[in-house]
Amino acid sequence: MFDQLHKSIQEHVSLSEEEWELCKNNFRPKRMLKRQFLLQEGDVCRELTFVEKGALYSHSVDSKGDRNVLRFAFDGWWMADLQSFFTDTPSTLNIEILEDSELLVLDRRNHEKLLKAIPAYERYHRIILQNAYIAAQQRLENALGRTAEEKYSRLLAHNPEFMHRVPLNLVASYLGMSPETLSRVRRQMIQSS
Amino acid sequence: MPITKQTIAIIGACGNMGSAIARNIAGGNYRLLLFDQNSKELSVLAEEIRKQISSADVKPMDCAHDCCWEADIIILAVPHDDEKEIADQVRDVATQKIVVSIANPVDEDFRQLTTDPDTSAAEELQQWLPHSRVVKAFNTTFAADFDQPVIDGQQVDAFIAGDDEDAVQSVAELVETTGFHPVIAGDLKVSGTLERMQMLLVQLTIRSSDKQPAGWKVLHN
Repeated sequence: MFDQLHKSIQEHVSLSEEEWELCKNNFRPKRMLKRQFLLQEGDVCRELTFVEKGALYSHSVDSKGDRNVLRFAFDGWWMADLQSFFTDTPSTLNIEILEDSELLVLDRRNHEKLLKAIPAYERYHRIILQNAYIAAQQRLENALGRTAEEKYSRLLAHNPEFMHRVPLNLVASYLGMSPETLSRVRRQMIQSS
Repeated sequence: MPITKQTIAIIGACGNMGSAIARNIAGGNYRLLLFDQNSKELSVLAEEIRKQISSADVKPMDCAHDCCWEADIIILAVPHDDEKEIADQVRDVATQKIVVSIANPVDEDFRQLTTDPDTSAAEELQQWLPHSRVVKAFNTTFAADFDQPVIDGQQVDAFIAGDDEDAVQSVAELVETTGFHPVIAGDLKVSGTLERMQMLLVQLTIRSSDKQPAGWKVLHN
């Protein structure tokens, strides 16, 4: 139930058995099913969620009712609306379950407790936030001034798993293009290879 | 009230209290997962709830552990004698979750409590689930009161006790959904008093059987 979280933490820092026990006991294990919502627009995001197994995605809904995908999270990834979490303001995002998932949920109070009690956890969290910032910058860079072909090629290079686990319409939304454009780009790339 | 739907597991859903709670919260913004040893009755209950409330999101489950794994809030609607066994089954998936203790540990004659004088059913449950947020609630209300939580023109009080402020607040919202008036009585230590209050109410009800239903109400000017 905690294998991926343990692996993720141990990749960056080292916890004693006692610290790991304290860490584990502050997470809420939650199984969720496809199409359920972990967070809906208008609620404050009060929790950080680690994906032990499964897939979820965050998205906003525009005035036409279309979903704009912000990011995905798979086994071993973290998911939250950090803006809402850190500013304690209602979220503009929805976090939806893409595949039946096993999650570990950490609420703000327990997160702060762990930050104080375990210096290695604080370091781990800082690394996770750094990585999230880098990913957000890459995502922004990818979204601005690149052709549809370039966007798709970069996705294949950096996140090939998306194409196996995510429906094409959501990948297209993530890349900021229509499903038709994504299909055309894929077809062209297959033909040229 | 959160916009995001919360999932509630009711363990012992076919009992008087379990089914009364299930029927009364099914109209709220909750996903209900029901578990009971009696799987036939469980399917009937889920079907009845769906018929009564078309918007109800209710699902019978065949495993207490999976039921609690999917839940945000767990309601143990079983006698206190059975709580230890269930706690052992679900402990690993109940961590940091709200667990509602509704049990009144009374003997067969309703004359005395079966717990030691310095503890309560809720405090024992907290010991068995040390990483959960146990909240005492729904133990001072009779199952019959759920049909009509107003007696003699007064909305019946439902007392709540717990050590975790956020958990107590969530349970207060749940109590409000059922139609009772939530009264936050204090921390989990108050549970013993609440359990004794209900034992007294049972004794009074037995003595004056013509004065049912009965419930508690704190009156203010």
